[in-house]
Amino acid sequence: MVIKVDEGNLKQGLLGLVVALVEIIEEALERQALRRIENGRLTAEEETRLGEALADLNEALKRIKKENDIEDVVDSVIDGLSEVTDVFLNPERWEEEMKKT
Amino acid sequence: MKETKVIGETSLREGRYVYCVVDSGAKLRLGNIGIAKAEVYTVPHRDIAAVVHACQSQPYQSEDANKVMEWILSYNDVVDGATEQFGTVIPFSFDTIVKGDDIAIENWLGRSYEKLKHDLERLCQRAEYVVQIFSDQDKLVEKILAENQALRELKQKTSQMPERAGYLLRRKFELGLKDAFNATRAKLAAEFASKIKEHAEEMEIERRVSHLPENYKDKKLIVPFSCLVHKDKVKGLGQALGKISQEGYAVRFTGPWAPFSFVKPEEI
Repeated sequence: MVIKVDEGNLKQGLLGLVVALVEIIEEALERQALRRIENGRLTAEEETRLGEALADLNEALKRIKKENDIEDVVDSVIDGLSEVTDVFLNPERWEEEMKKT
Repeated sequence: MKETKVIGETSLREGRYVYCVVDSGAKLRLGNIGIAKAEVYTVPHRDIAAVVHACQSQPYQSEDANKVMEWILSYNDVVDGATEQFGTVIPFSFDTIVKGDDIAIENWLGRSYEKLKHDLERLCQRAEYVVQIFSDQDKLVEKILAENQALRELKQKTSQMPERAGYLLRRKFELGLKDAFNATRAKLAAEFASKIKEHAEEMEIERRVSHLPENYKDKKLIVPFSCLVHKDKVKGLGQALGKISQEGYAVRFTGPWAPFSFVKPEEI
Protein backbone atom coordinates (compact mmCIF):
# COMPACT_ATOMS: atom_id res chain seq x y z
CA MET A 1 0.00 0.00 0.00
CA VAL A 2 1.34 3.43 -0.88
CA ILE A 3 1.92 5.72 2.09
CA LYS A 4 1.44 9.36 1.26
CA VAL A 5 4.24 11.46 2.70
CA ASP A 6 4.28 15.23 2.64
CA GLU A 7 7.02 17.47 3.97
CA GLY A 8 5.15 18.21 7.22
CA ASN A 9 4.45 14.53 7.84
CA LEU A 10 8.04 13.59 7.19
CA LYS A 11 9.41 16.24 9.53
CA GLN A 12 7.00 15.29 12.30
CA GLY A 13 7.67 11.58 11.83
CA LEU A 14 11.44 11.87 11.71
CA LEU A 15 11.72 14.35 14.55
CA GLY A 16 9.25 12.27 16.54
CA LEU A 17 11.39 9.17 16.04
CA VAL A 18 14.59 11.00 17.05
CA VAL A 19 13.02 12.52 20.17
CA ALA A 20 11.50 9.14 21.11
CA LEU A 21 14.94 7.54 20.89
CA VAL A 22 16.45 10.35 23.00
CA GLU A 23 13.69 9.81 25.59
CA ILE A 24 14.53 6.10 25.74
CA ILE A 25 18.21 6.93 26.25
CA GLU A 26 17.20 9.55 28.82
CA GLU A 27 15.35 6.88 30.83
CA ALA A 28 18.37 4.58 30.69
CA LEU A 29 20.59 7.45 31.93
CA GLU A 30 18.18 8.20 34.76
CA ARG A 31 18.10 4.57 35.86
CA GLN A 32 21.89 4.49 35.77
CA ALA A 33 22.10 7.72 37.79
CA LEU A 34 19.67 6.38 40.40
CA ARG A 35 21.70 3.17 40.72
CA ARG A 36 24.88 5.17 41.28
CA ILE A 37 23.21 7.28 43.95
CA GLU A 38 21.83 4.19 45.69
CA ASN A 39 25.28 2.59 45.65
CA GLY A 40 26.71 5.74 47.29
CA ARG A 41 29.10 6.33 44.43
CA LEU A 42 28.35 10.06 44.06
CA THR A 43 29.05 13.00 46.34
CA ALA A 44 26.12 15.23 47.33
CA GLU A 45 27.36 17.89 44.92
CA GLU A 46 27.68 15.43 42.02
CA GLU A 47 24.22 14.13 42.80
CA THR A 48 22.76 17.64 42.61
CA ARG A 49 24.59 18.45 39.36
CA LEU A 50 23.49 15.19 37.73
CA GLY A 51 19.90 15.69 38.83
CA GLU A 52 19.82 19.23 37.45
CA ALA A 53 21.43 18.19 34.15
CA LEU A 54 18.80 15.47 33.67
CA ALA A 55 16.03 17.89 34.65
CA ASP A 56 17.32 20.36 32.02
CA LEU A 57 17.42 17.62 29.36
CA ASN A 58 13.86 16.66 30.23
CA GLU A 59 12.74 20.27 30.06
CA ALA A 60 14.43 20.73 26.64
CA LEU A 61 12.73 17.59 25.26
CA LYS A 62 9.36 18.78 26.53
CA ARG A 63 9.87 22.12 24.80
CA ILE A 64 10.92 20.52 21.48
CA LYS A 65 7.88 18.24 21.57
CA LYS A 66 5.50 21.10 22.30
CA GLU A 67 6.98 23.52 19.74
CA ASN A 68 6.87 20.91 16.98
CA ASP A 69 3.54 19.40 18.00
CA ILE A 70 5.01 15.89 18.15
CA GLU A 71 3.83 14.76 21.62
CA ASP A 72 1.49 12.14 20.12
CA VAL A 73 4.05 10.90 17.57
CA VAL A 74 6.67 10.40 20.32
CA ASP A 75 4.17 8.60 22.57
CA SER A 76 3.11 6.29 19.77
CA VAL A 77 6.75 5.43 18.83
CA ILE A 78 7.55 4.63 22.47
CA ASP A 79 4.34 2.63 22.88
CA GLY A 80 5.13 0.70 19.69
CA LEU A 81 8.62 -0.12 20.89
CA SER A 82 7.47 -1.21 24.34
CA GLU A 83 4.91 -3.51 22.68
CA VAL A 84 7.87 -5.31 21.16
CA THR A 85 10.10 -5.33 24.18
CA ASP A 86 7.72 -5.48 27.11
CA VAL A 87 8.24 -8.54 29.20
CA PHE A 88 4.52 -8.81 29.74
CA LEU A 89 4.20 -10.09 26.19
CA ASN A 90 6.55 -12.93 26.94
CA PRO A 91 4.56 -16.13 27.61
CA GLU A 92 7.57 -17.66 29.40
CA ARG A 93 7.33 -14.83 31.89
CA TRP A 94 3.68 -15.76 32.43
CA GLU A 95 4.65 -19.34 33.16
CA GLU A 96 7.02 -18.02 35.83
CA GLU A 97 4.31 -15.79 37.24
CA MET A 98 1.87 -18.70 37.33
CA LYS A 99 4.36 -20.87 39.21
CA LYS A 100 4.65 -18.16 41.85
CA THR A 101 0.88 -18.01 42.47
CA MET B 1 -11.80 1.40 -26.42
CA LYS B 2 -11.91 -1.99 -28.13
CA GLU B 3 -8.14 -2.32 -27.81
CA THR B 4 -8.28 -1.48 -24.08
CA LYS B 5 -10.88 -4.19 -23.59
CA VAL B 6 -8.73 -6.83 -25.28
CA ILE B 7 -5.74 -5.86 -23.14
CA GLY B 8 -8.01 -5.99 -20.09
CA GLU B 9 -9.24 -9.48 -20.93
CA THR B 10 -5.74 -10.73 -21.49
CA SER B 11 -4.48 -9.28 -18.23
CA LEU B 12 -7.52 -10.61 -16.36
CA ARG B 13 -6.30 -14.10 -17.03
CA GLU B 14 -2.97 -13.39 -15.33
CA GLY B 15 -3.88 -13.84 -11.69
CA ARG B 16 -6.42 -14.97 -9.13
CA TYR B 17 -7.19 -12.98 -6.01
CA VAL B 18 -7.61 -15.57 -3.22
CA TYR B 19 -10.04 -14.64 -0.42
CA CYS B 20 -10.10 -17.95 1.42
CA VAL B 21 -10.19 -21.73 1.13
CA VAL B 22 -13.45 -23.44 2.12
CA ASP B 23 -14.47 -26.91 3.24
CA SER B 24 -16.59 -27.70 0.18
CA GLY B 25 -15.86 -29.16 -3.22
CA ALA B 26 -18.72 -27.29 -4.93
CA LYS B 27 -18.09 -25.23 -8.05
CA LEU B 28 -20.14 -22.10 -7.50
CA ARG B 29 -20.56 -18.60 -8.88
CA LEU B 30 -21.06 -16.25 -5.94
CA GLY B 31 -21.87 -13.08 -7.89
CA ASN B 32 -20.25 -9.69 -8.34
CA ILE B 33 -19.50 -9.29 -4.63
CA GLY B 34 -15.71 -9.00 -4.80
CA ILE B 35 -13.25 -6.14 -4.68
CA ALA B 36 -14.29 -3.46 -7.19
CA LYS B 37 -17.42 -5.55 -7.96
CA ALA B 38 -15.36 -8.43 -9.36
CA GLU B 39 -17.16 -11.71 -9.92
CA VAL B 40 -16.31 -14.17 -7.15
CA TYR B 41 -16.42 -17.93 -7.68
CA THR B 42 -14.99 -21.12 -6.28
CA VAL B 43 -12.24 -23.25 -7.81
CA PRO B 44 -12.67 -26.75 -6.35
CA HIS B 45 -10.21 -29.56 -5.87
CA ARG B 46 -11.55 -32.81 -4.35
CA ASP B 47 -13.61 -31.70 -1.32
CA ILE B 48 -12.10 -28.23 -0.82
CA ALA B 49 -12.21 -25.02 -2.87
CA ALA B 50 -10.55 -21.63 -3.16
CA VAL B 51 -12.81 -18.55 -3.27
CA VAL B 52 -11.31 -16.26 -5.91
CA HIS B 53 -11.81 -13.61 -8.53
CA ALA B 54 -9.84 -13.12 -11.75
CA CYS B 55 -7.48 -10.15 -11.69
CA GLN B 56 -4.16 -8.86 -12.87
CA SER B 57 -1.22 -10.40 -11.06
CA GLN B 58 -0.37 -7.24 -9.19
CA PRO B 59 -1.55 -5.96 -5.81
CA TYR B 60 -4.50 -3.61 -5.42
CA GLN B 61 -2.99 -0.21 -4.67
CA SER B 62 -4.39 3.28 -4.55
CA GLU B 63 -3.56 6.62 -3.02
CA ASP B 64 -7.26 7.16 -2.44
CA ALA B 65 -7.85 6.06 1.17
CA ASN B 66 -11.62 5.77 0.61
CA LYS B 67 -11.12 3.44 -2.31
CA VAL B 68 -8.73 1.24 -0.29
CA MET B 69 -11.23 1.16 2.59
CA GLU B 70 -13.97 0.13 0.15
CA TRP B 71 -11.76 -2.72 -1.16
CA ILE B 72 -10.98 -3.91 2.37
CA LEU B 73 -14.66 -3.88 3.30
CA SER B 74 -15.58 -5.85 0.14
CA TYR B 75 -12.81 -8.33 0.91
CA ASN B 76 -14.09 -8.73 4.50
CA ASP B 77 -17.66 -9.17 3.24
CA VAL B 78 -16.58 -11.99 0.90
CA VAL B 79 -14.70 -13.80 3.71
CA ASP B 80 -17.65 -13.32 6.12
CA GLY B 81 -20.12 -14.48 3.46
CA ALA B 82 -18.01 -17.57 2.76
CA THR B 83 -17.87 -18.33 6.50
CA GLU B 84 -21.67 -18.09 6.64
CA GLN B 85 -22.17 -20.25 3.53
CA PHE B 86 -19.49 -22.92 4.04
CA GLY B 87 -19.00 -22.96 7.82
CA THR B 88 -15.24 -23.24 7.98
CA VAL B 89 -12.78 -21.10 6.03
CA ILE B 90 -9.04 -20.54 5.94
CA PRO B 91 -8.85 -16.79 5.39
CA PHE B 92 -6.00 -15.29 3.38
CA SER B 93 -4.79 -11.78 4.09
CA PHE B 94 -5.82 -8.82 1.92
CA ASP B 95 -4.02 -8.70 -1.43
CA THR B 96 -3.14 -12.41 -1.66
CA ILE B 97 -2.83 -12.95 -5.39
CA VAL B 98 -1.75 -16.15 -7.11
CA LYS B 99 -0.11 -15.77 -10.50
CA GLY B 100 -1.91 -17.84 -13.12
CA ASP B 101 -5.42 -18.98 -14.00
CA ASP B 102 -7.95 -21.41 -12.46
CA ILE B 103 -5.76 -24.36 -13.37
CA ALA B 104 -2.87 -22.81 -11.42
CA ILE B 105 -5.22 -22.49 -8.42
CA GLU B 106 -6.35 -26.09 -8.78
CA ASN B 107 -2.73 -27.27 -8.96
CA TRP B 108 -1.89 -25.23 -5.88
CA LEU B 109 -4.86 -26.74 -4.00
CA GLY B 110 -3.66 -30.19 -5.07
CA ARG B 111 -0.11 -29.56 -3.89
CA SER B 112 -1.23 -28.11 -0.54
CA TYR B 113 -4.26 -30.38 -0.08
CA GLU B 114 -3.04 -32.25 3.01
CA LYS B 115 -2.05 -29.06 4.84
CA LEU B 116 -5.24 -27.21 3.86
CA LYS B 117 -7.49 -30.13 4.79
CA HIS B 118 -5.70 -30.48 8.12
CA ASP B 119 -6.22 -26.74 8.82
CA LEU B 120 -9.90 -26.95 7.83
CA GLU B 121 -10.41 -29.83 10.27
CA ARG B 122 -8.54 -27.94 13.01
CA LEU B 123 -10.72 -24.87 12.43
CA CYS B 124 -14.01 -26.75 11.94
CA GLN B 125 -16.86 -25.30 14.09
CA ARG B 126 -14.40 -22.80 15.51
CA ALA B 127 -14.06 -19.05 15.11
CA GLU B 128 -11.76 -16.31 16.29
CA TYR B 129 -12.82 -14.10 19.17
CA VAL B 130 -10.91 -11.08 20.42
CA VAL B 131 -10.74 -10.51 24.16
CA GLN B 132 -9.24 -7.25 25.38
CA ILE B 133 -9.08 -6.63 29.11
CA PHE B 134 -8.67 -3.11 30.43
CA SER B 135 -8.23 -1.52 33.80
CA ASP B 136 -8.89 1.94 35.08
CA GLN B 137 -5.39 3.47 35.24
CA ASP B 138 -6.00 5.38 38.49
CA LYS B 139 -7.43 2.31 40.21
CA LEU B 140 -4.44 0.23 39.20
CA VAL B 141 -2.00 2.88 40.49
CA GLU B 142 -3.99 3.03 43.74
CA LYS B 143 -3.75 -0.76 44.07
CA ILE B 144 0.02 -0.73 43.41
CA LEU B 145 0.62 2.03 45.96
CA ALA B 146 -1.53 0.28 48.55
CA GLU B 147 0.69 -2.80 48.22
CA ASN B 148 4.04 -1.00 48.02
CA GLN B 149 5.18 0.95 51.06
CA ALA B 150 8.48 2.11 49.54
CA LEU B 151 6.67 3.75 46.62
CA ARG B 152 4.14 5.35 48.95
CA GLU B 153 6.93 6.90 51.02
CA LEU B 154 8.74 8.09 47.91
CA LYS B 155 5.59 9.76 46.64
CA GLN B 156 5.12 11.53 49.96
CA LYS B 157 8.75 12.75 49.92
CA THR B 158 8.68 14.05 46.33
CA SER B 159 5.49 16.01 46.88
CA GLN B 160 7.36 18.30 49.28
CA MET B 161 10.40 18.93 47.07
CA PRO B 162 10.92 21.84 44.65
CA GLU B 163 10.59 21.12 40.90
CA ARG B 164 14.23 21.08 39.69
CA ALA B 165 15.98 19.87 42.87
CA GLY B 166 13.49 17.06 43.33
CA TYR B 167 13.67 15.87 39.72
CA LEU B 168 15.71 12.69 40.23
CA LEU B 169 13.74 11.62 43.27
CA ARG B 170 10.49 12.20 41.35
CA ARG B 171 11.83 10.12 38.47
CA LYS B 172 12.77 7.41 40.97
CA PHE B 173 9.13 7.31 42.00
CA GLU B 174 7.84 7.39 38.40
CA LEU B 175 10.21 4.66 37.18
CA GLY B 176 9.48 2.53 40.26
CA LEU B 177 5.77 2.91 39.57
CA LYS B 178 6.29 2.01 35.90
CA ASP B 179 8.18 -1.19 36.83
CA ALA B 180 5.56 -2.14 39.40
CA PHE B 181 2.87 -1.41 36.85
CA ASN B 182 4.47 -3.73 34.26
CA ALA B 183 4.93 -6.48 36.84
CA THR B 184 1.28 -6.17 37.89
CA ARG B 185 0.24 -6.24 34.25
CA ALA B 186 2.23 -9.45 33.61
CA LYS B 187 0.75 -11.05 36.70
CA LEU B 188 -2.79 -10.07 35.72
CA ALA B 189 -2.27 -11.24 32.12
CA ALA B 190 -1.20 -14.65 33.42
CA GLU B 191 -4.21 -14.81 35.75
CA PHE B 192 -6.62 -13.89 32.95
CA ALA B 193 -4.99 -16.40 30.58
CA SER B 194 -5.46 -19.20 33.09
CA LYS B 195 -9.16 -18.30 33.45
CA ILE B 196 -9.75 -18.18 29.70
CA LYS B 197 -7.53 -21.10 28.63
CA GLU B 198 -10.05 -23.88 29.22
CA HIS B 199 -12.59 -22.21 26.90
CA ALA B 200 -10.25 -21.72 23.95
CA GLU B 201 -8.65 -24.30 21.67
CA GLU B 202 -5.77 -21.96 20.97
CA MET B 203 -4.75 -18.53 22.28
CA GLU B 204 -2.49 -15.81 20.97
CA ILE B 205 -1.54 -12.34 22.11
CA GLU B 206 -2.79 -9.79 19.62
CA ARG B 207 0.41 -8.13 18.44
CA ARG B 208 -1.30 -5.18 16.88
CA VAL B 209 -4.27 -3.67 18.57
CA SER B 210 -5.69 -1.53 15.83
CA HIS B 211 -8.79 0.46 16.53
CA LEU B 212 -10.28 0.95 19.97
CA PRO B 213 -13.67 2.55 20.50
CA GLU B 214 -13.72 5.95 22.18
CA ASN B 215 -15.02 4.64 25.54
CA TYR B 216 -11.92 2.45 26.01
CA LYS B 217 -9.37 5.16 25.20
CA ASP B 218 -9.03 6.42 28.79
CA LYS B 219 -8.43 2.90 30.11
CA LYS B 220 -5.18 0.97 30.29
CA LEU B 221 -5.05 -2.17 28.18
CA ILE B 222 -3.78 -5.00 30.37
CA VAL B 223 -3.73 -7.69 27.71
CA PRO B 224 -5.28 -8.38 24.30
CA PHE B 225 -5.96 -12.04 23.40
CA SER B 226 -7.09 -13.67 20.17
CA CYS B 227 -8.84 -16.93 20.97
CA LEU B 228 -9.85 -19.80 18.69
CA VAL B 229 -13.11 -20.94 20.24
CA HIS B 230 -15.34 -23.92 19.46
CA LYS B 231 -18.96 -22.87 18.98
CA ASP B 232 -20.02 -24.95 21.99
CA LYS B 233 -17.56 -23.11 24.23
CA VAL B 234 -18.42 -19.51 23.37
CA LYS B 235 -21.01 -19.30 26.16
CA GLY B 236 -18.50 -20.60 28.72
CA LEU B 237 -15.94 -18.05 27.58
CA GLY B 238 -18.55 -15.30 27.90
CA GLN B 239 -19.30 -16.41 31.45
CA ALA B 240 -15.59 -16.51 32.40
CA LEU B 241 -15.21 -12.97 31.00
CA GLY B 242 -18.30 -11.90 32.93
CA LYS B 243 -16.56 -12.94 36.14
CA ILE B 244 -13.43 -10.95 35.20
CA SER B 245 -15.63 -7.96 34.53
CA GLN B 246 -17.27 -8.35 37.96
CA GLU B 247 -13.79 -8.02 39.49
CA GLY B 248 -13.76 -4.44 38.19
CA TYR B 249 -12.01 -4.81 34.81
CA ALA B 250 -13.48 -3.63 31.52
CA VAL B 251 -13.70 -6.50 29.03
CA ARG B 252 -14.15 -6.03 25.30
CA PHE B 253 -15.27 -9.29 23.67
CA THR B 254 -15.78 -9.27 19.89
CA GLY B 255 -16.40 -11.94 17.26
CA PRO B 256 -16.98 -14.35 15.71
CA TRP B 257 -14.33 -13.50 13.14
CA ALA B 258 -12.66 -15.60 10.46
CA PRO B 259 -9.65 -17.21 12.20
CA PHE B 260 -6.96 -14.94 10.74
CA SER B 261 -4.66 -15.29 13.77
CA PHE B 262 -4.70 -19.07 13.62
CA VAL B 263 -3.63 -19.74 10.05
CA LYS B 264 -0.19 -19.27 8.61
CA PRO B 265 -0.62 -18.74 4.87
CA GLU B 266 3.16 -18.68 4.42
CA GLU B 267 3.24 -22.36 5.42
CA ILE B 268 0.62 -23.35 2.84
